[in-house]
Amino acid sequence: MSSKATIYSFLFLGLAVTALLIVAPVVYAVSLSFYQMDSFVGAPKWAGLDNYTRMLSQWVFWRALINGFIYSFGTIIFQVVLGIGFALVLNQVFPGRNIVRGLSILPYLLPTVVVVLTFKWMVDGSIGVLTTMMSALGLPQVQWFESPGAAMASVILVSVWMWTPFVTTTFLAALQTVPSSLYEAAKVDGTNAVQRFFHITLPMLKPILTVIVLLRAVWMFNKFDVIWLLTQGGPVGATEHLAILSYKQAFGQFDIGGGAAVATISFAILSLVVFIYFRLFPLDTE
Amino acid sequence: MAEVRLNKVRKAYGAQVAVHGVDLHIRDGEFVVFLGPSGCGKSTTLRMIAGLEEITTGTIEIGGRDVTRLEPKDRNIAMVFQNYALYPHKTIYENLAFGLRMRRMDKAEIDRRVKSASAMLGLDPYLERKPKQLSGGQMQRVALGRALVRDPDVFLLDEPLSNLDAKLRVRMREEIARLHQEVGTSMVYVTHDQVEAMTLANRILIMRDGHVQQVGAPLEVYDRPANLFVAGFIGSPEMNLIEGHLERGALKAGGLSIELPPGIAAAEGTPLVLGVRPEHIGVGEAPGAHAFHVAVIEQLGAQTLCIGEVAGVRLRVLMDRTDAVRNGTTLPIQFRPGRLHVFSKETGARINRADADVGRRPAA
Ligand SMILES: Nc1ncnc2c1ncn2[C@@H]1O[C@H](COP(=O)(O)OP(=O)(O)OP(=O)(O)O)[C@@H](O)[C@H]1O
Ligand SMILES: [Mg+2]
Repeated sequence: MSSKATIYSFLFLGLAVTALLIVAPVVYAVSLSFYQMDSFVGAPKWAGLDNYTRMLSQWVFWRALINGFIYSFGTIIFQVVLGIGFALVLNQVFPGRNIVRGLSILPYLLPTVVVVLTFKWMVDGSIGVLTTMMSALGLPQVQWFESPGAAMASVILVSVWMWTPFVTTTFLAALQTVPSSLYEAAKVDGTNAVQRFFHITLPMLKPILTVIVLLRAVWMFNKFDVIWLLTQGGPVGATEHLAILSYKQAFGQFDIGGGAAVATISFAILSLVVFIYFRLFPLDTE
Repeated sequence: MAEVRLNKVRKAYGAQVAVHGVDLHIRDGEFVVFLGPSGCGKSTTLRMIAGLEEITTGTIEIGGRDVTRLEPKDRNIAMVFQNYALYPHKTIYENLAFGLRMRRMDKAEIDRRVKSASAMLGLDPYLERKPKQLSGGQMQRVALGRALVRDPDVFLLDEPLSNLDAKLRVRMREEIARLHQEVGTSMVYVTHDQVEAMTLANRILIMRDGHVQQVGAPLEVYDRPANLFVAGFIGSPEMNLIEGHLERGALKAGGLSIELPPGIAAAEGTPLVLGVRPEHIGVGEAPGAHAFHVAVIEQLGAQTLCIGEVAGVRLRVLMDRTDAVRNGTTLPIQFRPGRLHVFSKETGARINRADADVGRRPAA
């Protein structure tokens, strides 16, 4: 077999696996959104764009969209800022650094369910450690899941807690790639630590940061488990974003077409955001 | 412009000592080269002057100011790094201007200085480019320019030419020599290339394993190496080192007896090492000539290097270009007492009288 044939056969294999695992489900899901279906066993009925017009004309859809943006922006900003902050601290030389570095990744390794249950337990109204500490400090009681604002804050808080270590670890690894002579040149050039961060670290890590933010954005926009386990989108839809809405529509309301339409719109919006994002922050800066 | 003083400057990493107490006075406008093999502590010493490496003990003064505890930015030094260390995301103009901007210099003055440095180094066509779009030689010029615009008290250069190819290295060496003449600022230059050291330096400081071996003008270290290490390190091709012992004013080595210069203060029978440069061995018939059997011939162009042995002692002899020598040829050679270096075998220290005439014509 010639090497060209080998390359093509591998290429074909790759494309086939991609088609089977990614393209086919997407096509199936998108096609569902053009049918009216109340279960996966009944015969689907062609509905054209009905599902779309129906969902887009509902207030809950727009609320879910806005919630999705609030949730993903909130989590990304805190994750990235805190993640970089921790990475800079962990990059310093101090005794026990390797142990602290190891521990810092821990929340990321825990299953979501464990993190969520731990948090629920910490803010429990009677025995929660956070509740007890706050009342000992004379702070007012927070109804973590009852008021809309606090519920959104809770889901953001838990998400940031869980995924900041990812940013920290990635950024910390990236920091090791910046040649130390650049920092030394900048020291000789008269910079202080803050100026070095903005003139050396940030520009040097911009490509990696671009990817981190994008990955986090895509993941957070579609994040389902944390919110579902914490609030199930409540109270009264305050933390319900498109993924939750789509699930509730399909499996709560038995409106599979409507759920699929929401998922498709969500997919389209995300694609658009990614497209615009790469326009704004091209990976190759030359 | 300023002088630099190192007083017993020492650097230890835990138990490991990288630099054992360097004492050095660099005069205003002087070009000093730190020379030595890899790992001898040259960079560490330079970086201590720059303030990039903490000084374990000792003090450093620049222009009469004790800078031992000062940050690099407060020492008024400029540094050129081996890998250039240009800011990759900034244009060449910005690279040159950065140090001045950080010092809040007036915009017009920054522009004037950048333009003047860029003209001096022929960088005008590249000011709007990024470092990635330059060749190694051009990047090296930018690195020099970045130091130049600062108008510092002293320039510190750490193997600035070692990433360049041989030809470019010679060109840049000349350029650095020219720059030093034009700006007249003190320079400290680290290298392991003895040719760079010999051609650039006013004075060379030779280091080994964190110890200073000798400080002196290039010809001084060539003419009177202070010990065996310097003798072997300076000069190319390498100096012949012949082990033997003192016997009635001569060195006995195997079947060989070489008359030594007068004034060797050592007891009869003392083990010695005799150093003689390949270029200082005379070829031709004369009374007392030794028979040198040629084994290998290296034609260098203008000169011919013969490697062989004399009475069982291995020797390199450098002579004017000749095509007549063959493998197996026997040549008559002589050692001239005035061109011999005598070292103690035990300590490696030079034991010729300090005023012995070595290599130079006696002053008229
Ligand atoms: N951070 C460090 N920790 C421990 N030892 C170090 C450290 N930095 C340097 N050294 C040691 O100090 C010694 C001197 O190093 P230095 O970099 O000054 O050598 P050099 O003469 O510049 O060599 P080269 O020509 O290879 O650059 C070396 O033995 C090196 O191993
Ligand atoms: Mg070095």
